[in-house]
Amino acid sequence: MGATKGAMNATVFVIRIVVGGLLVVAGSLKIGHPVELAAAIAGFRLLAPLAIGPLALALPYLEVLLGGYLIVGLFARVAAIVACAQFVVYAAAVASAVLRHIPAGCGCFGPNDSAVADWPHVAFDLGLALASAFIAYGAPGALAIDRKLRSV
Amino acid sequence: MNQRQLAIVSVAIVAIIAIAAIVAYAWWPSHRLQTASQPLAAGKAQVGQPAPDFVVSTTAGLFDLAKTDKPVFLEVFATWCPHCQRETAVVDRLYQKYKSEVNFVAVSGSDTAIDGTSPASQLDVLNWEQRFNAQYPVAYDATLGVAGSYLQGGFPTIVIIGKDKSIAYVNSGEVSYYDLAAAIQKTLR
Repeated sequence: MGATKGAMNATVFVIRIVVGGLLVVAGSLKIGHPVELAAAIAGFRLLAPLAIGPLALALPYLEVLLGGYLIVGLFARVAAIVACAQFVVYAAAVASAVLRHIPAGCGCFGPNDSAVADWPHVAFDLGLALASAFIAYGAPGALAIDRKLRSV
Repeated sequence: MNQRQLAIVSVAIVAIIAIAAIVAYAWWPSHRLQTASQPLAAGKAQVGQPAPDFVVSTTAGLFDLAKTDKPVFLEVFATWCPHCQRETAVVDRLYQKYKSEVNFVAVSGSDTAIDGTSPASQLDVLNWEQRFNAQYPVAYDATLGVAGSYLQGGFPTIVIIGKDKSIAYVNSGEVSYYDLAAAIQKTLR
């Protein structure tokens, strides 16, 4: 029982680092490039231009923050649920662009990311959503600040 | 710090990011993002000459002329220009027919917004794209670098660049679908 729990904690920790690290990298690469991100978001034709501006300015910082919480294991369950919802929204946006034959750029990893919206991206985002759901299920996992807070 | 205090701090950070983004956005057109403000010069693009390189962030992702291996259909437009507004229907038809063989990109080339008085901005270009339902990739060029290289005569200027990166066709104003389709066919031959 103890070994199973230990393996679960270790697995959650590894997935937390992978998903959190990915969010930190993706967010960091977008910081300072709101024009490019706004163009990429506009390409999906889902939001009004008025909503795109604030989103392009805030999203990179929110991704870095969310990734940071997952990495250190602070409010890991809540962070994982938010990340899961975010990846589902990304997958839905990309899928809608593919289905509508819209030439949207992914824009996932900053202005130099030339990847376009396609089915592999949908699968990638859904994979990350599943990984986040797993973190939420097994949270907080090993080496998490949440554990310290509980023991205080 | 206990769990409750950390939760309050976390919510506060998210709120600060959201409020900061909205406040920054309020200044966006003239402050937060660079606006097009440089004087416009007529481009030197000539048929038969090498096409000047350019890189722009379009609604379909990054477009780098140097990295494309297909002919390029370039439109330099202004949001306030009625000819450009009407030409979107023509370019859309061409885009639907040739998008698998030709890279389409429309780049903003004016320092003035659609109202004819305020400075051009990305918001102005995105509004224009949605209002006139431009389906092809559209880019906001704050530096007006593309217009500086390619604009000829007036808005819109339409340039077709061959696979060999030389300029195959240049025209300005409202050009018919058939003329542009013929020019594209010639480039594809």
